[in-house]
Amino acid sequence: MRTTWHITKRIILYIFLTGATVVMCFPLFWMISSSLKTLQETNSPGILLVPAHPTLAAYIDIFHNADFLRSYFNSVFYTTLALIGTLFSIAVVAYAFSRIKWPGRNIVFFLMLSTMMIPSQALLVPQYVFFNKLHWIGSFNPIVIPGFFAGGAAMIFLLRQAMAQIPVELDESAIMDGANHLQIFWEIVLPLVKAPIAIVATFLFVGLWNSLLAPLIYLQTVSLYTLPVYVSTLYNINSAVQPWPTIMTAAVLTTVPLMIVFFIAQRYILEGVVITGLKG
Amino acid sequence: MSQNPYIDVLINAVLTVLFIIIASFGLGTLARYIAKWAGAPKKQQENTFAGYLFAAPWIVGFLIFVLIPLGYSLYWSFTDYRVTENVPPNWVGLSNYAQLIHDSGFRASIVNTLFLTAIGLPLMIAVALFLAVLLNQKTRGEHVFRMAFYLPVILGFNTAVLLSWRLMLNTGTGIINQLIRAFSNAFPPFSYLNRAVIFIQELISAVFLGISSGKFNLLNRVWAAGLPAANRVPMWVESPLWTKMSVVLLMVWGCGAMMLIFLAGLNNIPRELHDAADVDGANSWQHFWKISFPLLTPFVFYNLVVGLIACLQIFEPIYVLYRDNQPLVPSVISMVYYLWQTSFRNFEIGYGSAISWLILFLILAVTAVQFLIQKRWVNYDLY
Repeated sequence: MRTTWHITKRIILYIFLTGATVVMCFPLFWMISSSLKTLQETNSPGILLVPAHPTLAAYIDIFHNADFLRSYFNSVFYTTLALIGTLFSIAVVAYAFSRIKWPGRNIVFFLMLSTMMIPSQALLVPQYVFFNKLHWIGSFNPIVIPGFFAGGAAMIFLLRQAMAQIPVELDESAIMDGANHLQIFWEIVLPLVKAPIAIVATFLFVGLWNSLLAPLIYLQTVSLYTLPVYVSTLYNINSAVQPWPTIMTAAVLTTVPLMIVFFIAQRYILEGVVITGLKG
Repeated sequence: MSQNPYIDVLINAVLTVLFIIIASFGLGTLARYIAKWAGAPKKQQENTFAGYLFAAPWIVGFLIFVLIPLGYSLYWSFTDYRVTENVPPNWVGLSNYAQLIHDSGFRASIVNTLFLTAIGLPLMIAVALFLAVLLNQKTRGEHVFRMAFYLPVILGFNTAVLLSWRLMLNTGTGIINQLIRAFSNAFPPFSYLNRAVIFIQELISAVFLGISSGKFNLLNRVWAAGLPAANRVPMWVESPLWTKMSVVLLMVWGCGAMMLIFLAGLNNIPRELHDAADVDGANSWQHFWKISFPLLTPFVFYNLVVGLIACLQIFEPIYVLYRDNQPLVPSVISMVYYLWQTSFRNFEIGYGSAISWLILFLILAVTAVQFLIQKRWVNYDLY
């Protein structure tokens, strides 16, 4: 009796898990499937899980769309630049909060944590006026430069937690040998926090790649648009027929880098390194 | 300034790095002088220098991009300031805030946010908890399931994914409604369930729409119409009664981050507690509600705080799915969308600043309230 019940429970469990997996992945599947359909097929009533006549026409079209290709390049360019600057400055600041004892550290650290409560949107208006004064509207500067000042309190916190776990003796013996903090940071601490750095880099990448509001406000001209801004213009609410295969092709190509990064980094993220960081 | 936007930003990046290095050495040196003046020993002087040197990027950034902008926007929120007209801000006292109270658009955005927090957030936490409990059963292929459940978090509110949802949510030809129709035709009980859910959802939405407009005739109409006809499907992106629910759907889909937090919490619960309950003959239901859930309350609390802040900041789905859709916008507009509209479409910087400060104040107030009432229900026995 007990074993039959046990097996039934297991089967129900797997049904639920598989069902949830299908639901969670469905939008992605639907995106790919629709990008291979014809316009007629995407607008047809009826359940068409995979296209009856798969076609790559939308993909061929989009590779002739100069605006799309440029927005792709813009996204890659701005994400790379902002990512390098942000990641490096965050690591430096996390080092200050974890490996050096300085007067005022606790106050500054508390201040930094409390900025997590300030939504970035609440700062948009004054920042816009500030960038306007610098004549930075209509350039990449407003979406790249602020990150260089260790933007992202949660990420600093995560990295600080990881750095704080390294034994102090390592630093002390290095100082005995005459090393300065810059050398300790670069040669001892950074190599020991590779996994947390990978996680922070992933989160930063995802945040930058998905970002819509700031690029929308600051970029202004089509030639500067990043992918999310450009793709949103493909869907025009006032037109009667939406070019769904084209939109979904652009969507698939937009999500490809996200998928690649997720597959590389998922081991670290899902094994709960982040959560140990948050709890400590 | 260079004409080429790519070279322009590269030059500015190099200049910024130089600026940060100079500012860091400046701040570090200043801190060392103060330490020396205060009579600190040599080693502590060096640590003071190094500490401020390394922390300077954040300190300088905090001043330039957070503290000073906050100060300015507080001042502008008391002025009539339009950035396009090139006239200095004109002090108007509290009139921006007074205007906000009577602003129907802003009121709608608050009520809609309330809907997302009152309906969407509990649903999101419940689904996250359910998935975490399922995953905690130690199954084969657990890692694949984890990946699948976390995937939506990575895709997030990217425009690309939102548009995929838009295609799926089409009322007539969207795959979701097609599946609902197919199931309803195949199993009559599902049809009744579907109609009941539609009815309840439309009633709740009509109440919220009534609160935001002050007129409850829509609620009366929904109530008078009674249980919807057998062939009814949700009108996701086409009816004011369903627009908010489509955003809730997106939120629930992205519950993977909360699920990971719950999984960590479940892993923390000592095995002995469950073993002891087994000896007493407890069933799974009791296991969950008497042991797991009380010990998970700190994690529920964490997800509530973080989730609420996220709810108050929703922008992308409304912009991508509903921008320029005049008849629907009031039914789904969020606070941040309203902020964007006033500040960056109409360039009313003074009024936009007032909205910013109200959003900031709301987030702080709601979080403070949560921390105050947590003592009544959060159980920290394990920690």
